[in-house]
Order: sequence, then C-alpha cells, then structure tokens
Amino acid sequence: MKEKKQGIKERPAEELGRHIIQWDPDISLCAGCGACEIVCSLIHEGVSGSRSRRIFFEHDSIQLMHKVYTCQQCLDHPCYNACPLKDKAMLIDPETNIVYVNEEECIGCARCVKACPFEPKRIQLNRNKKAIKCDLCRGRENGPACIEYCQCLAIGMSDDSPPVPGVVVKV
Amino acid sequence: MSEQTQLPQYGYVGKIAWIDLTDQSVKIIPTSDYAPKFIGGRAIATKIYWDVTKPGMKALDPENPLMFMTGPTTATGIPTGGRTSVCAMAPNNLPEQFCWGNMGGWFGAKLKFAGFDGIVIVGRAEIPVYVKIDDGEITFHDARNLWGTLTHDCQEKLSAIHGKEAVSAVIGPAGENLCRNASINTSNDNVAAKAGFGAVMGSKNLKAIVVKGTGDVRPYDVDMVLKLRKTMGNPQRKANPVEHLDRCAFRAHINFETEPGVVKKTNVSCSHGCNMRCNLFVLDTKSAFPRKVTNQVHKCIGVYAFQMTEDCGMFPGMFFHTEKNHNQACLGQGAQVPPPPDTSDPYLEELMTRRPGSTMNFWDGDYDRGNVINDLCTQYGIDKWDVIVWLMTWLVMGKRTGVLEDMDLGMEIDPGNEEFMKHLLDMIVYRKGYWGNLFAEGMARAIRTLGKEKYGDTIYKGIISNVVPGLQLDIPISFESSWGHCFHWQGRGFQGSPPPGYYLSATLMLMTNTRDAQTNSHVHGTLDYMKETMDAHKACLNRKVAENAFMGEIKAEMKECVTCCDLQSPQIFWPDMECQMLEAATGIKMTEEELYLACERSKNLFRAILMRDSNRCRAQEEPEAYRPLQYPDCEGQTVAPEEFAKLVDLYYDVWGWDRETGWPTRETWIRCGLEDVAEEMERLGKLPPEKSSK
Repeated sequence: MKEKKQGIKERPAEELGRHIIQWDPDISLCAGCGACEIVCSLIHEGVSGSRSRRIFFEHDSIQLMHKVYTCQQCLDHPCYNACPLKDKAMLIDPETNIVYVNEEECIGCARCVKACPFEPKRIQLNRNKKAIKCDLCRGRENGPACIEYCQCLAIGMSDDSPPVPGVVVKV
Repeated sequence: MSEQTQLPQYGYVGKIAWIDLTDQSVKIIPTSDYAPKFIGGRAIATKIYWDVTKPGMKALDPENPLMFMTGPTTATGIPTGGRTSVCAMAPNNLPEQFCWGNMGGWFGAKLKFAGFDGIVIVGRAEIPVYVKIDDGEITFHDARNLWGTLTHDCQEKLSAIHGKEAVSAVIGPAGENLCRNASINTSNDNVAAKAGFGAVMGSKNLKAIVVKGTGDVRPYDVDMVLKLRKTMGNPQRKANPVEHLDRCAFRAHINFETEPGVVKKTNVSCSHGCNMRCNLFVLDTKSAFPRKVTNQVHKCIGVYAFQMTEDCGMFPGMFFHTEKNHNQACLGQGAQVPPPPDTSDPYLEELMTRRPGSTMNFWDGDYDRGNVINDLCTQYGIDKWDVIVWLMTWLVMGKRTGVLEDMDLGMEIDPGNEEFMKHLLDMIVYRKGYWGNLFAEGMARAIRTLGKEKYGDTIYKGIISNVVPGLQLDIPISFESSWGHCFHWQGRGFQGSPPPGYYLSATLMLMTNTRDAQTNSHVHGTLDYMKETMDAHKACLNRKVAENAFMGEIKAEMKECVTCCDLQSPQIFWPDMECQMLEAATGIKMTEEELYLACERSKNLFRAILMRDSNRCRAQEEPEAYRPLQYPDCEGQTVAPEEFAKLVDLYYDVWGWDRETGWPTRETWIRCGLEDVAEEMERLGKLPPEKSSK
C-alpha cells in the first residue's frame, strides 16, 4: 500500500485510524473532476459547495497534480478531546472508533477545528456554524460516497489494496 | 407549451453581473429577466446580445459585450455541467459576426459559487486591469504588472495573490496584441479559442477575470444527480495510472518511437464535476519557455503537432450507433476511456471498420517539437486549430507547390522544425514586421490579403486517400471551410474521412453558424442512417440528412444552455437525457419536445441577430457553406451546387424557414415565443411573405 502525503503536517502511520487516502499517480492519477467533494457535500448537505464538504479537494489549475486532503481519523482523536460537549456534540462510534459530529448539539466553537493537527484542517464549520468532518459516511450502505463516485479509483481506504489498472470496478 | 415562467430556487443562483470597464461600475441583473424562458448559458447570452447591441458594432469596439454564462446544471454536480459558454462579436470570424464559444475548467462553477449565473463585460479600461469576483463582490485591479505575462504565469500569479481556491480566465500576449486568433485560457488548459475572444479581452484592456466563491449551489433532486453521475456517458470506474511509454502512440495515425519512458501519459477531466476523463494528459514535457518542463492537456487537435503523416481517420462507431453500441463522438480516439464494446452486436464489425485518414506526409513524428508547439500556443494564448491545422499545413503545401517561394520569414519555412515554429509564433504573437502582423489577423484574412486565388486556392496534389487506396485528392493548399475557420470533419482536408451522411449534415450546421460548429455539434446518427447516406448525390435529396443536422443543432443549443458537453450529448438512444439533467438541477420538468422548442427559440434568436447585423440570408450562407463540397471527399465524391441547394431546401423546411431567403417565417417566430422578433423582422423587411411559408 502506498499513501500520498496528506498535507504539510504529518503524523506517524500508527497514530492514524482507517481513513481515506489518495493513491500515488503511478497507481491512479486523480483526474481532477472534484467528484469526491461534490458528492460529499451533496449527500451530507444537499448542496454543492466548498463550505459543505468533508473532504478537501485542492485543484491544481496548471500542472493538474491535484491533492485530496482527508480526515486521518487519528486514533487519539484530538478533535473529540477538544470538544466542550464531547459525547453530545462530538462522539466516538464504539464499533469503528471513528469520531463523528452530532450537529444538533454542536455550538460552533471551532475548538475541534483548531485541535486538528493537520494543515489544511480536516474539519470545518459549515454555513450554519456546525462542525463537519468525515465520518466515512457512517451508516451509509455503500461506504464512503467519495470513493464510490471516484471514476478513476484515485482514492480508497487506507487498508485497501491498490486498484489494478484496467480492471473495471462495478458498484 | 407548459412552460415554467418563474425562476426556480434550484440550479440557478439568480444574478448576472453587468461589468463596465470604462467607468468600473457593476450592475446586477436578475437571472429571472431571462430564465427559464432562455434556459441558460448561450441562450441567455444570445438574448442579452439581441437586446443591447446594434448593427455596425465591431468585435474590438468597447461596446462589444463579452459574456461568460453558466447553465442551470453548472456546479450542481451533474456531469459536464461545468462547461461555460462565452459569447460576443467574434474577431476571428470572417466576416465578424456574433459568435459563441465554450470552455471547460472550473471558471463557470466558481462563478456560480461566487453568486453569479453569468457576467457581461463591456467598455474599455484606461489601463490594463483584471476583475476580481469574490463571493458576490466585484472589484477592479491594476494589471500592468501582469500585462505581457504568459497564460500559465498569469494564472499562477493570480493564484499566489488571491489563493489556491481562485480560478482565473486570462489572456496571453496574443490577446493583448489583438491577434484575431487569440484564446481565453482557464484552468486545466481549457480555452475558448476559435472565435478569437482573447482579442476581445485585449481590446478591453482586460488581462484576467479571477473568481473565488464559497457559496452553495443547490440542485433540485440530489438522488437524480447521483444517478446521472453513474449513467451519463456510461463511465468506467477503473484506475488511471500514469503510463510510461516507449512510443508516442496516441492514435492509430500518431505512432512513432521515442526514448524509452519519455512519454508519460494518462487522462484527466476537463471540467468541474465531470464523470469522465476525456482529455489526454502528458507529463514532464519539453516546454518552449524557461520553465523547461510542463504538463500538458490535449484534447483533439494538439496531438497533430507531434506528427502529421496521415490525416485523422475515423470508424463509424465514433458517430453512428446501434442500440447495443453507442458512444460519444470521437470516443476511442486515444484520449478517452471507452467502455468495452458489446460483442453480441451483429453490426460490431461495421461499427469498428476504420476509414483511415489520407496520406499527407506533412511532418514526421517528433515528440519534443509537438510539445513545444502546443506549449507556445497555450502560453501565448492562441488558437491551436488556426496554427496546427491551418497555418502549419498551409506552409507545407504552399512551399511544396512553390506558392511561397517569395516569402521571406527570416528562416527556412519548415513547420517540422520547432525552432522555426518558435520564431514564427513569436513574430505573430508580438506582431513583428509585415508577416507577423499579417498572420496575427488570422489565416482567413492573411490569405485574402496575400491574394486568395494564388495563396488560398492553388491545388495541392500530394494527398492520397486510404479509403480508396491510391486515389489522389486534389484540394486547395488552404484548409479553409467557412466563416474564416478551417476544416473539421468536413470530409475534406483535415479530418476528411467521414462519409457523406456525416459531412453533409456537418456542412448544414456550419452554414447557419458563424464559426466551426463541430466543437459542439459532432454528427450522431444510427448506423442505418450512415449506410443510407453513403452516396453524396442521393444524400442531398434525403430529408433525413436535414433532420440530422436539425437534431445536431438543437442538441448543440442544449449543450450550451443546460449546460452539457459534446462528448456526452447527444445520446441518441437516451433522447431525454438533457431533460433529466435540467429536472435534476432545477425541478423544471420539460418533455423532449418542450426542450427542443426552447432550443429552437435560442437558435432562431441567434439567426435573428445574424439577419439584423450581418445580412444573413440564403444568398449569403449557401455559397459560403458549399465551397468545400466542390473538392473531392476521401472516395473522390464531389457535390454540385444544385445538389447542395436541394439539400438546403429540405433543411430550411425542417426549420420552418423560407426556402427563398432562408428567413424564419412569422409562424416560426410565433411558435418559438418570439413575437417581438417577428415584429422587428417585419420592420426590417425580413419577414418572408406568408405565401412563401413552408
């Protein structure tokens, strides 16, 4: 398994949970459509827009070496630790250990955003001042929508095998 | 028509900005002034142009409204909705006429996220400026420090100033120096090039438009959007690795050895939200400029700078379809990722039997030379079609026929030599000397200035058909088709191998246009249609050819209004695809017939502008479109003027236009909901008498 660098700050792999990764260009180059963040915001918020995404597609207009920044699902979950309403606004799924947000309880203090150890941050406040972060589409039958709708298999799960060129994946 | 008259809250964002560079003012126009009657994109731009311009305006006048218009699907996540229409009076058309263009990239989506369905730019700034659009706020900035920069440098500088999220549409030196073939460039090397709109920006002292937007675009039906993402274009989910090749092997006819591993290629999407990756992407290529290496995007034409020993061929399945095998236009040309064919189709062999391009031997394979030429065009911001298909081939054929023997360009004329091409494009883009100024006027005007009879119409005898092996195809040294543009699937010269059912339909579409129409109107039909129209003479008497052109033009309007892409539409076995796109984006439910009528309205209004401003009529457009047909196609067939005239009769009938004049009848204007246009046409004396109505 080969993982692309996910930003200027890095943490050792053993501190990260099961998360979404971008494959190396020699495995599959991101074609730059932005479907990952479009589908993410559509499914979660019903709109398309950068304030509603939980995956952060950085478009490279010129050289087209796009980057996809994702929540690394840190095992020590600093975002959860920083939340003043932990276990109400920010919770940990007991089965997967994934941190997720209960928007009804979120007060929009942005402490979780500040606590995210990565740059760019992998949590943001949406238009309603609620924290939003990737929870791997918790409860969604087909798993993370961004992976399902990436036509060139440029992103996958960190414990996936790399996609094989030429093999068509059916959903 | 059960037409919705209120602007829905979905799909559209509700505002169009009118930006005046002269006094640096901004006026906001509600999109509801135009939509949904004029659905979006080009239709809205056409309506604005009809309303605000007057006959006599020139392309480089400050009054020329340069419009960037999105459609209701733009930024909704509906595949290919990311494309943007660009419209204005066009400097590179001959004569100058109202024209359209379109570009992919992220500009349109960002415009919507910034709160605008479109922008209209008029006036002329006193000094070079750029316009910044940032979440509803529009500001003007001094661009003197950007003037003179190449297109990539300009985009990078603007990103450095305004952030990585900023997307820009820029011009290069060609636009600044008012080269008529100058492009507008945006992200992913997408351009609006053919009409020469880069020169319009240059004439306005407008170097760039930068857009940032964090707003939302809300589609009506998310589930429908997601479904379209999986069905439109029958996309393949498979890995997209960077391949390291030992050959430059991009098409059947572009195939030669290179240093091992030098060619690194894969595919990329052209625009925001597309579910395909149609564009060829080559990495670490030789640059014409100090950056030394660069990554390049190639669509259709750029690869011909690598090699042109053989013309671009085709196989029927690219354009003609069966129920079991129906793809997008040009699919399988090497850049795209086609689905595997259905081998149970008894017609598969016919669909896949190649009609090879003719032998031309214009320039041999040279990967670095090709990349340098493409880089020159991209960075200078100049139309690759005008350069590669027309200028370069003309130089080769002109030299071989002796026509150019008195032409001193300062170096030996040799388009196969990258140093010569660097020298020549530098002359053109910076308008150096007589020749630089001449070619900066675009090929059509340059050849007329030199003398078309000798420099345009001299016959070249070196093209040999491979469809009828050994047949010599005598065509002019200038690959000119109509309206100042060059051949593009016209059955002659470049991309000269499609059968009559294709090129006759394409010629009709070109006839009522103002530019090369094949960028948004690739011909589609059934395999039966193709087989029924293989004889050019009989095809001119076949109404199905006229109906095919009509369908192609209507679908082109849809692509530019809804918006959609020419490589995903039309799907002839999914005729209401665009209706579903529109409904998913806006909630507007239209039947196929209703959407057709909306697009007829847009096309007829386009025609009204041409009639009002450019004296468009049958006497003008029929001979203009006919010209290429007098030369042999790849099977040696020609079409006589009287044969083409019969086809034009049928075509006008389909549109509801008067056979004698080519003008829409009152009935047609009223049917399209354009009663006011009918009144104006009557005032201008351009309403056909009732008895002439067909």
